[in-house]
Amino acid sequence: MHLRTPLPPRPRPARTTRRPLKHRARVLLLALCTIGATILVSAPSAQAYAPVEIVHTEQVQVGPYHLTVGFSKWPLRAMQSLDFTFAPDGGLTGKSGILSMTGPGMQGGMHMGGPLSRHPRKRDVWGLDVRSLSTAGQWSFTFTINGPHGQGTGTLDNITILAQPGPPLALSWTLCTLPVIGLIAFLVVAWRRHRPSRHLTVVGI
Amino acid sequence: MDSVHAPTLTGPGQPSPPDHPPRPQPAGAAGAYTVLAGTLMSLVGVSWDVQWHVDVGPDTFFTLSHLMLYCGSAIAGIASLVMVLRATFAGRVGRPADPTVGGSPVRVFGGTFTAPLGYLVAGTGAALFLLYGLMDLWWHSLYGFDAVLNSPPHVALFISISLTMVGSVIVFAAARAQRWGRIGLVVSIPVLITFTPITTNAFNGVSPAIDPQLAGTVLFAVCFILMGGITLRRRGVALSIAAVLGVMQLFLWWFSPWAAKAYAAHVGLPLRDNLRHMPPQLPSGIPMFMLAAALVIEALLRLGRRRGWSGRWLPQLTGAVGGVVLSFSMLVQTSMLRGGAGAGPMGPSTTSATTVLTDAILGLAFGALAGYLAARFAVLLHLNAPATDQEGR
Repeated sequence: MHLRTPLPPRPRPARTTRRPLKHRARVLLLALCTIGATILVSAPSAQAYAPVEIVHTEQVQVGPYHLTVGFSKWPLRAMQSLDFTFAPDGGLTGKSGILSMTGPGMQGGMHMGGPLSRHPRKRDVWGLDVRSLSTAGQWSFTFTINGPHGQGTGTLDNITILAQPGPPLALSWTLCTLPVIGLIAFLVVAWRRHRPSRHLTVVGI
Repeated sequence: MDSVHAPTLTGPGQPSPPDHPPRPQPAGAAGAYTVLAGTLMSLVGVSWDVQWHVDVGPDTFFTLSHLMLYCGSAIAGIASLVMVLRATFAGRVGRPADPTVGGSPVRVFGGTFTAPLGYLVAGTGAALFLLYGLMDLWWHSLYGFDAVLNSPPHVALFISISLTMVGSVIVFAAARAQRWGRIGLVVSIPVLITFTPITTNAFNGVSPAIDPQLAGTVLFAVCFILMGGITLRRRGVALSIAAVLGVMQLFLWWFSPWAAKAYAAHVGLPLRDNLRHMPPQLPSGIPMFMLAAALVIEALLRLGRRRGWSGRWLPQLTGAVGGVVLSFSMLVQTSMLRGGAGAGPMGPSTTSATTVLTDAILGLAFGALAGYLAARFAVLLHLNAPATDQEGR
């Protein structure tokens, strides 16, 4: 014989189509794992230090020194990084130098650059590793080299930098500021709900 | 997302908090400190990575410093998810939510999940980090591995980590009635302060009139230190936060260059030529004299409270004075690192009367704003877990 005891009414789910919690948690975990796996699968090419592969060269006469300027990408595009190499004839022994780069929008003698250093992944030449030029237009590289034949200066003019690749920068920035917008929205909601200015006594001031 | 108006959430018009002292929450402490450990890993990973680019250079998606950075967010995210699921299952079996564990419960996805507010914010930051990590990978495939901090996906990644750090602060503030909660808050606030200059770096060059790094440092450092002091309402909190910040700075100052050189030696990469004896990049941006500003903030808060100064303007006054002290201290810090006459490791100093005046105005304005926000944020933190308001004094 079964005694039937009255059960308290069970709360009705908000939606008739609601799925069990475990199912939703599983879906959430699956989504996170999928994103993680996508990163791992799509990234193997980024796991090794890439060799420096020069695809284009230009020649510059820097006083008594002949210099070969190499680029790992050609044509050049704004914001797209690449390896630059600067190889004087006869090697680097006994030589030092300074590089000065000027481009569009640089006024009043502004320039980028500094002492010429060996390329971190190609130690037999000077270079810049994964460096980009910020703006499209005409750039020039000026070299000053000190060596056994004295000091010399030379400029590689009219290096054309094309427009940046990819979507417009404004779109990228809009997408990437969404977390800030979300945080501000969260604060606005909390502010409107609790009106903290009216409850300063809560914190004893 | 809706707040759960359960017996747990008290605020204006809500039931009074229970009188009994909070029960010890070992799981709450474990979850909170795991999230904090994740944010610390992210911070150390970023500092190491920045120094790697300065001292060594070659980069891949999976350098050790990058992995440390990713692991930090993963650990914080998984801990947050566990705490959210724990709160959700507790709610399903009818146990009342405890706002001292992570903050007020919030219904997520129409009530499918019940997420303590702090863990919701921390977990959202970690999830966003994962998504923007994917975008960063795409960005690098398009633009190459240029090591700049202020590319759009990098800024999004830093903001995502900051969100996790904000979540950590909310979690510890909710547990402020307990010793572990107060200690956690005093540690989690400096983590957030240390990280903010990295994000404000994105605004460099936007306006020639304002130094965004200095403005960001004054705004966030003063705001968070003052917020901590007001939230805990104990003597020496602002000074403790500043002291922990100093310890973090010293550690990063030593660790970042050491780790970059040790890792380079391990993988067989040489150091760059022409490395000048520059101070490590990220730690040298952290205020070195925060204790001075904290001392002023602490003294003014205590004086104002003792004399019954109006709460309408005490935080702004405290923030403004603290902001000016911090702003001037940053001027001294830069001059020290630049070496005055040009003998310092960062080149010649550029201090002038105009710089001093500009920095004073900037410190005053951003400090006052920081004070205004700090008091309101402290109120929100208290309302988030009001049952503990009577504790910790």
